[in-house]
Amino acid sequence: MMKRITSLLVFAFSVLSITSEAQTDINSSTFGALEARVLGPGTMSGRISAIEGVNAENGKTVYVGTAGGGVWKTTNAGASFKPIFDKYCQSIGALAIDQKNPKVIYVGTGESNMRNSVSIGDGFYKSTDAGSNWQRIGGLDSTEHIAKIAIDPNNSNTVYVAAPGALWSDSKHRGLYKSTDGGKTFEKILFISDKTGCADVSLDPSNPNTVYATTWEFRRTPHSFSSGGSGSGIWKSLDGGKAWKELANGIPAKPIGRTALAIAPSSPNNLIAIVEAKETGLYISADGGETWKPQSASLNVVSRPFYFSSLVIDPKDPKRVYRPAYSFAYSSDGGYSFAEASGEGGWVHSDHHALWINPSNTNHLYLGTDGGVYTSLDRGATWTFIQGLPVGQFYHVDHDMGAPYRVFGGLQDNGSWVAPSSGPGGVGNGDWKPIYSGDGFWVTPDPTDPNIAYAESQGGDVNRIDLKTVKSVGVRPLQTDKEEKLRWNWNTAIVTGKANPKNLYTGAQYLYRSQDQGRNWTRISLDLTTNDKKKQEQENSGGLSADNTSAENHTTIFTIAESPLDANQVWVGTDDGNLQVTTDGGNTWTNTSTNIVPTGIPAQTWVSSIEPSHFNKDVVYATFENHMYGDHKTYAAKSTDGGKNWKAFISKEFSGFAHKIIEDPVNQNVLFLGTEMGLFASVNGGQDWFRMKNNIPWYALVRDLKIHPKTNDLIIATHGRGILIVDDISSMRALSKDVTDKNVHLFETGDITLSTGEFGSGGFPSTGGWVSGNAPSLKPFQYYLKDKINTGTVKIEVYDKTGKLVQTVPASNRKGINRVTWSQRMMPPKTATGATKPDNGGAVAPQVLPGEYTLKLKIGADEYSQSFRMVHDSKSNFSLSERNDQFAAAMELYNLHLKLATIVAGISDKQKIYKDNVAKLKNKKSIKIGNDYLIALETLRAELIPTKQKSIFADESRLREDITQVYLAICFNEAGPSNLQLESIKSLTKKVNEAEKKAVEINGLHEEKLRSALAKEKL
Amino acid sequence: MKKIKFLSLLTLSFLMAATTFAQTADEIISKHIEAIGGAENWKKINTVKQEASISVQGMDIPVVITFVHNKAFKQEFTVMGMTGYSIITVDSGWNFSPMAGQTKPEPITADELKYGKDQLDLQGEFIDYKAKGHSLEVLAKEDVDGTECLVVKINRKSGTESVFYFDPKTYYMIRTKSKVVTNGQEVESVINMSNFQKLPEGIVMPFTMESSAVPAPITVTKVVINGPVDESTFKVSQ
Repeated sequence: MMKRITSLLVFAFSVLSITSEAQTDINSSTFGALEARVLGPGTMSGRISAIEGVNAENGKTVYVGTAGGGVWKTTNAGASFKPIFDKYCQSIGALAIDQKNPKVIYVGTGESNMRNSVSIGDGFYKSTDAGSNWQRIGGLDSTEHIAKIAIDPNNSNTVYVAAPGALWSDSKHRGLYKSTDGGKTFEKILFISDKTGCADVSLDPSNPNTVYATTWEFRRTPHSFSSGGSGSGIWKSLDGGKAWKELANGIPAKPIGRTALAIAPSSPNNLIAIVEAKETGLYISADGGETWKPQSASLNVVSRPFYFSSLVIDPKDPKRVYRPAYSFAYSSDGGYSFAEASGEGGWVHSDHHALWINPSNTNHLYLGTDGGVYTSLDRGATWTFIQGLPVGQFYHVDHDMGAPYRVFGGLQDNGSWVAPSSGPGGVGNGDWKPIYSGDGFWVTPDPTDPNIAYAESQGGDVNRIDLKTVKSVGVRPLQTDKEEKLRWNWNTAIVTGKANPKNLYTGAQYLYRSQDQGRNWTRISLDLTTNDKKKQEQENSGGLSADNTSAENHTTIFTIAESPLDANQVWVGTDDGNLQVTTDGGNTWTNTSTNIVPTGIPAQTWVSSIEPSHFNKDVVYATFENHMYGDHKTYAAKSTDGGKNWKAFISKEFSGFAHKIIEDPVNQNVLFLGTEMGLFASVNGGQDWFRMKNNIPWYALVRDLKIHPKTNDLIIATHGRGILIVDDISSMRALSKDVTDKNVHLFETGDITLSTGEFGSGGFPSTGGWVSGNAPSLKPFQYYLKDKINTGTVKIEVYDKTGKLVQTVPASNRKGINRVTWSQRMMPPKTATGATKPDNGGAVAPQVLPGEYTLKLKIGADEYSQSFRMVHDSKSNFSLSERNDQFAAAMELYNLHLKLATIVAGISDKQKIYKDNVAKLKNKKSIKIGNDYLIALETLRAELIPTKQKSIFADESRLREDITQVYLAICFNEAGPSNLQLESIKSLTKKVNEAEKKAVEINGLHEEKLRSALAKEKL
Repeated sequence: MKKIKFLSLLTLSFLMAATTFAQTADEIISKHIEAIGGAENWKKINTVKQEASISVQGMDIPVVITFVHNKAFKQEFTVMGMTGYSIITVDSGWNFSPMAGQTKPEPITADELKYGKDQLDLQGEFIDYKAKGHSLEVLAKEDVDGTECLVVKINRKSGTESVFYFDPKTYYMIRTKSKVVTNGQEVESVINMSNFQKLPEGIVMPFTMESSAVPAPITVTKVVINGPVDESTFKVSQ
């Protein structure tokens, strides 16, 4: 026995050592300096699944849970929000605040608005410090979806969690759970079956042992949805969940579907329920659920009950009922009649899933929609949109080749949009332009025509958009007599050719190609799917409420990719597991799907992305996902023989089913993989992978990825955090082993283009809403440090070709890649001091001239140097000769500042002689001599610098300010000096020289007299 | 024999893993105090005067920082020929920033003073923290610029909180993160520390600090420990 243990341990040890040897030291923190910037937008935000506020804070502190963007917190009633859940699962089902101790927050992950694109969670979390730190507790990790959390108002340790559970498979991890130890452990207290979960829970505030819960039987398959069954019901317990009684008196006969239940907090025997049934409607009870009677069945009450499960009663007024659903409806008569919110003040995004009422001011509401958060101050009659919550749910992203390039993307329930990647003052909400409506998916610019893009709405509604006029032309291919009825995926691919940019592809079950911008199409394949008829019965989908919005369409083409090396090689992946390739432009097709199964990737998996290599026609990468069969594993693979054999990528780091794999177009060893739970990168061809955490939520839903060929930016489409951009990933390509083996490596800087900033400033700061930062507007120096430098300073010195120090730049000391930006300027002049006001001239230096420079990276006593060139931007309107003139003029003024500073310092020094001795002088004549000298100097000093007014709003302009005015105008502009600027330099030079002369004169008149007076008094 | 060696190595590594995993806040803090010179040496510190500079695009901003233990703190900085300062004493705090257009010193708010006063414990708030009324808790390890750090949170007697990040190799504190609440608004303040140097007094201090509030790192050039500090240093000239 002992021997066995020993050998097991030795085996374990050897495995450990293999793992550690195989792992490189490269991980996310190596690239920590390459932080993603959040492009946003906030103008169309994403789906909101939960909102809870701190009751005692009067609507100021509110937490927002999102479908795919984690948890956000405001402490200022929505003026700004911060993400507080970035290291954890981003799909949020429910939030709860312990109102007795509002530092305690619970998060149930896994949204429960069970649409086709809903994401799963990984359990239950608790914070005890108002969201700063979190712990996963309770053992609910496998519930996948959590709909509601209720805390006993009398006993904070008692917590109920309603878990609908898995959407795509049977599971025992569902039902109503109860904790009596503040969430540490849970006991399942209401369970119907592996198919039926718990959708709602409410406690009677006056007697929290009275618990109401609703159960819900539901299921999705890749091609159908069913809401309702015998397991669904409404339940009541009088003893905190030990014994349950089903409430059915007056409720429609079974089968029923999802029930939203609300209790009137100010009159807890009054209950309201919207029951999904053959005749869905709103029911009320005045006796704690014993009997029910029907009320309204208006559109908003009955619409999509599986998706709209919110129903809220005013905390003080039991008759005031809110039904956030397709639109926002409210009732003042307990649910008998409903009115709709007004559009006054702006459109309120449709599809509502969360509502919080401020109990201190019940006019004040927060509403969560498919397009973000709104607030109301008039009980929901009108709404104001919160502009600063960038939680958009993109499906796909693309870019053009402009400078700055434009980003194109389509979002869940928010259409198709385009925005610049950088702009004056950053990219704000107003920079985003909508170009098509509906649910947005693929949006791609025409590579041959900068005014054209292709966009769609759900189910293959493909359009050609004129980007100037934003008018669209529907170009969806149509069925002819030669085809079966076309089957379009909800998220139909629209793709342009990588090898032949004139090629435009889209696909139903057949692949279509156009070479004239979608005006005419050629079908270039037979049915590429399995054409399994059993998976084509979408008209029967929905269960009790018909629901087929093309979201359940199946046996369709999902992904299309033309090889960048050969326009005749086109890959097609379908949602039912086929991976087809043609090498002759569509004449013949080969289905490679059976070749994938030996890697362990199941058959029938959805082919979510295909990436033909940029380097070798036989190399292809693909991702596969099987979550619609309840399998959330990460599947990605590579073939090096045109799809005959495949090798799966395996990593302990992976989490979430795979959406997208891309190969870097410059270094084939650099790969990125986006999944439902994170972004992963490899710099060694997929042998090792690490999770990217560079200001990217660790479990972000990464749907699409692009690398911009000009800027080398990694563009990330997330389904819940908008677009993220990691600017310039070229250093990731350069991290070969010989680099990482060194303690310090200075990357080749190459030429740096002289610029005052690429994107302009915009002039005014943003007045609110989401504003992303820009790409670095000046090219940085980059270096690699094997370890963080803990002792000694790190700095970069820049020298010109004569060896003169131009500027010293403080440098970062982090492990991995470091980026340090030099202002491209000299050191600012030391301007005259002693004034009553600051002078901006002392903070600005002339920009250097083009030429050879050397940078020295100094780390403690060690030094690493490299030469590089500063180059003039020959494409700009600013000519090289203008630049030379600008520099010469700037230097004249720079030197004038130095000269003036010397004069003023001289004056002050002389004044000091008298000031230091005045108290000791006894002879009145001596004092007068000194005083005359002081006054003469002060009169001159007051002409050179401000000496009276302190206020920056007071215009006491003196010679120093006059110099600065011209100096700044010349230094900051990308323009040669004007005739009048040159004229004024002459005049300023004259004035400085005169001042110098005047100082000499004054000293000549007074100094000797003073010194002899002092000498007489032995001072 | 070879196997035994393997086994002992393995056990050792497991043990080591276990010990690092199980470190309590007290253990981390005591190693940290030891690493920066020991409680005895720190308890001798009554005043510190630091000369430092911030370099912003080639413009040097000289900074002078003066501390008197549990009494007062002043930071003086000179920009474009103008000198401004921040002063915090046990009962008041002032800011004067003429370069930003202030014509006279302005009092800081009560909230700011509450946080500022936390900084007056020059000998270090970890030393005898229980007697000082603070409590500590260990949080999950976290990466700080490539270093997997030990993380300890302090809940101060004053009601404020900060999180500290310790390099497990050196036990130096390389980051502090504080959530400052002013008028109900939370602002996160992060300070990174590096360039640790041992002073003749036996204590170790960071000579480079970066703060989320300042555009460039501040580098200390001179430190005087227990030198005389004139009380007028903290007087506000109105």
